[in-house]
Amino acid sequence: MPDQSNIKKNESFELSKSRSNKRKKRIILESKISIINTISILFIFIVGFLFLLVFKRDTVSNEENRNLASFPEFSFQSYFSGEYTEAVTNYYNDSVPHRSFFKKIIASKLLTLKGKQYGNDRIVIYGSAASKDKSDVAKTTSISLTSLALTTMKAVTTVTTTVTTVPDINNPAADGMISNNIVVVNKRGLMLFGGSFANGQEYASSLNEYKKALGKNVKVYSMVCPTAVSYYMPENYLDLTASEKENIDNINSYLSDVKPVDVFTALLYHKNENIYSRTDHHWLPLGAYYAAKAFAKDAEVNFAELNSTNYDTVSLPGYVGTLYGYTQSADLINNPENFVYYIPKTNCTVTRYTTSFTDGYSDSLLLNPKNMSTSSYYMVFGGDEQITQVNTSCKNARTLVIFKDSYGNALVPMLTSSFENIYVCDMRYFDLNAISFIQQVGATDVLFAMNTFSATGGNHDYIEQNRVK
Amino acid sequence: MVFSSLFFIFLFFPLCLFSYAASGSIHNKNIVLIVFSLIFYAWGEPLYVFLLLASTFVNFLAGLFIGKYKGKFLDSFSTFFAVAFDIIMLGIFKYSGFIIENINLIFHSNFNSPDIHLPIGISFYTFQIISYVIDCHWETVTPQRNFFKLLMYISLFPQLVAGPIVRYSTIEKEIDSRKVNIKDISYGLNRLIIGLAKKVLIANNLSIVVESMLGSPHNSTFFSAWFGAAMYALQIYFDFSGYSDMAIGMGRVFGFHFDENFNHPFICRDVTEFWQRWHISLSTFFRDYLLYIPIFGKRRKYAGLFLVWFCTGLWHGASWNFILWGLYYGLFIFFEMKLGKKQIKKIPLFIRHVYSKIVIVIGFGIFYYEDLGNLGCFFKNIFGFGSNGFISSSDKITFVNNVYLIIAAVILSFPVISLFKKMSERIYPAKICISAVSAFCMPIILLICSIMLVDATKNPFLYFRF
Repeated sequence: MPDQSNIKKNESFELSKSRSNKRKKRIILESKISIINTISILFIFIVGFLFLLVFKRDTVSNEENRNLASFPEFSFQSYFSGEYTEAVTNYYNDSVPHRSFFKKIIASKLLTLKGKQYGNDRIVIYGSAASKDKSDVAKTTSISLTSLALTTMKAVTTVTTTVTTVPDINNPAADGMISNNIVVVNKRGLMLFGGSFANGQEYASSLNEYKKALGKNVKVYSMVCPTAVSYYMPENYLDLTASEKENIDNINSYLSDVKPVDVFTALLYHKNENIYSRTDHHWLPLGAYYAAKAFAKDAEVNFAELNSTNYDTVSLPGYVGTLYGYTQSADLINNPENFVYYIPKTNCTVTRYTTSFTDGYSDSLLLNPKNMSTSSYYMVFGGDEQITQVNTSCKNARTLVIFKDSYGNALVPMLTSSFENIYVCDMRYFDLNAISFIQQVGATDVLFAMNTFSATGGNHDYIEQNRVK
Repeated sequence: MVFSSLFFIFLFFPLCLFSYAASGSIHNKNIVLIVFSLIFYAWGEPLYVFLLLASTFVNFLAGLFIGKYKGKFLDSFSTFFAVAFDIIMLGIFKYSGFIIENINLIFHSNFNSPDIHLPIGISFYTFQIISYVIDCHWETVTPQRNFFKLLMYISLFPQLVAGPIVRYSTIEKEIDSRKVNIKDISYGLNRLIIGLAKKVLIANNLSIVVESMLGSPHNSTFFSAWFGAAMYALQIYFDFSGYSDMAIGMGRVFGFHFDENFNHPFICRDVTEFWQRWHISLSTFFRDYLLYIPIFGKRRKYAGLFLVWFCTGLWHGASWNFILWGLYYGLFIFFEMKLGKKQIKKIPLFIRHVYSKIVIVIGFGIFYYEDLGNLGCFFKNIFGFGSNGFISSSDKITFVNNVYLIIAAVILSFPVISLFKKMSERIYPAKICISAVSAFCMPIILLICSIMLVDATKNPFLYFRF
């Protein structure tokens, strides 16, 4: 008979042994999980390390219409100022191989998880919608780009011009062109308008001064172009934006002897056509056509109607413009549009000059979009940092000088049957005295053509500066 | 160098980790850490890295003197000299512009502000170095006799530029002897990923909501002021605690055990408790080193309290709104002290929660607006005197556009996951299940964060500027 106490001892020994085994097993299991976890994390580190170091780095972001950061050149000065290391980091973080692919995943898969689109119009706000000019005090505030976290927006194109039609936040000229307050509604990006009656009044006063200086023989026109927000913002959300119409009316009320061109109404009739880009902050060439038509009527000149006799139509599919770069909206990148533009059949001689009206060279009226990225088709109208002279076959002895922002570019082809000579100057990049220039080229008509953001924002200052330069 | 960047996550950190793992002895490991830490700092501050070295050297010498002349005049003198040196350095590099600006304002003088930019992390490493010298003086730590080991403590890159403010006593022993097992590495890496996710997935995206709600106070509504400030509280929490998580995680991978810096601050029941749970390393620093100074005699208790809160505010930035922010909290803590713990406990829990959250939300509003005019506007809106009504369609759209993010942020700011983990500790299969799921999820979260980082190059950690 085994001793009872021995059995108990054995049992308790067995029990503690099995407990200890169990504990050991648990420790081994936990360690195994830790090992698998660690290895898989380290694997991602290694893959990421190699991917970013070995794979060919992107140099261009087509969607954002900009060059990606490049590797900086070393100098002791740039090193000790911290610029060099910052630029190296920026290069590494910015020029990621297959960047567009990742950006698309972020836009269409990850950022959409943040929440829901609002209401039946599926509206999404990007940036702050709270900068609308509401109070009397705020009448002088203009929309600023400074808070927009974008790096320099350089036009990405192999075209010989060194210019850009998209805003450059490092350049004050860009102020007011596009705001960081964008909504995407019904698959369309809309810039929310802030507006400023005070700036509008200043704009009007400047134009009045031009008229005074130029005298009777030169007609001066003001074409303040509304943006898409005036036509495509659902009524429920109109409180998000200031009224472009009210701002244009305000400007017109201060104009004296300057003819306002009513683009607002002209475009209103055609709002169901493709007059504005859904993915870009510009209007489409068709919108510019209707605006040009309204202007031609006011200027009492001939106008070439849009038909196959007068124009060749070019349609470029897959257009996703600047608003995607600003918003990363899945609704925009996943719904590209056709960029349709019209090439006038009349013969024109085009000379492009520097912003000081020197070093002219012959060029075509419209640039070849073949080498352009899908986001920069608006570049077919040429750039901004130049003065363009168009000599047409229309012999009516009328010479038009246009001072414009990037909206004005699309007007030019539509006016080639209306004026004998057209000089296109960007008010933001103009190095001469505007009055002397107008007189020098013998202008009969001067058109100020820009969008509401320019007329009531920081850009309006250039008009006055160019007058007194 | 920002932790939440591809450059750090996929170049600097792997290189450091590899070099560390390959370096063998603890001596070599320390050399690797010092070299990488100095590269890390010099990457952002190529010149001020010498200031860091100089500060460390001065305090190293002070430590040696304190150790050598224990209890004698030179002990106290060295302590005083080193602390004064540290504070003066901080004053020059962080506050000179602010001081001159205010002198000009008061005396209508016209002194030029010096052209000095704020060295990254100076507020953090100065406090660390002060704590070292005072601890040496109080004999709570033994002065370090090797300059490079002290340099490693000060410059250790995981906590160098945005805390937590690690005490020398916390890692004193680990400088010479530290062991790391697979669980430590796994824990550390997971903690790093959690921190990264807090920053990249939550804080960065909340910042857009905050900007939309608070960015233009003249157009804010009652709702956007309250909601925006609440979201800002969450943004700062996820931003800063995310950084602390990353620091603690990387520290653990290298064998260091840093103290926790956050302990779910939003579950606090009163303001005093909030500060016991928020930026713990800063509150304990002031508690241990500033309150001790017997400059207010018998009235020390309350005067010291306001001094602490004045300094807490000032530490956060050279701007009046930060000082106001500090004193604002000081005021509520003063009231709570006056009322006494017993009396406070008698107040129904629900009311205490509501009270503390209201105070915190308004507090973060003060923290947000460096411009006092905008701050005034914020106060108008938050107390219902604004002219923009209760809620705008922009508020509604922004809310709905971000609703899942907001819900996730609110839930994750409470200890839901840790509670869940604690409960599962009792049931072994559940515990293993959770470990396995977490082991599976963490690499995926890292992957998602990495993709998000392709588009997050412009989001430095907010506490970098302090």
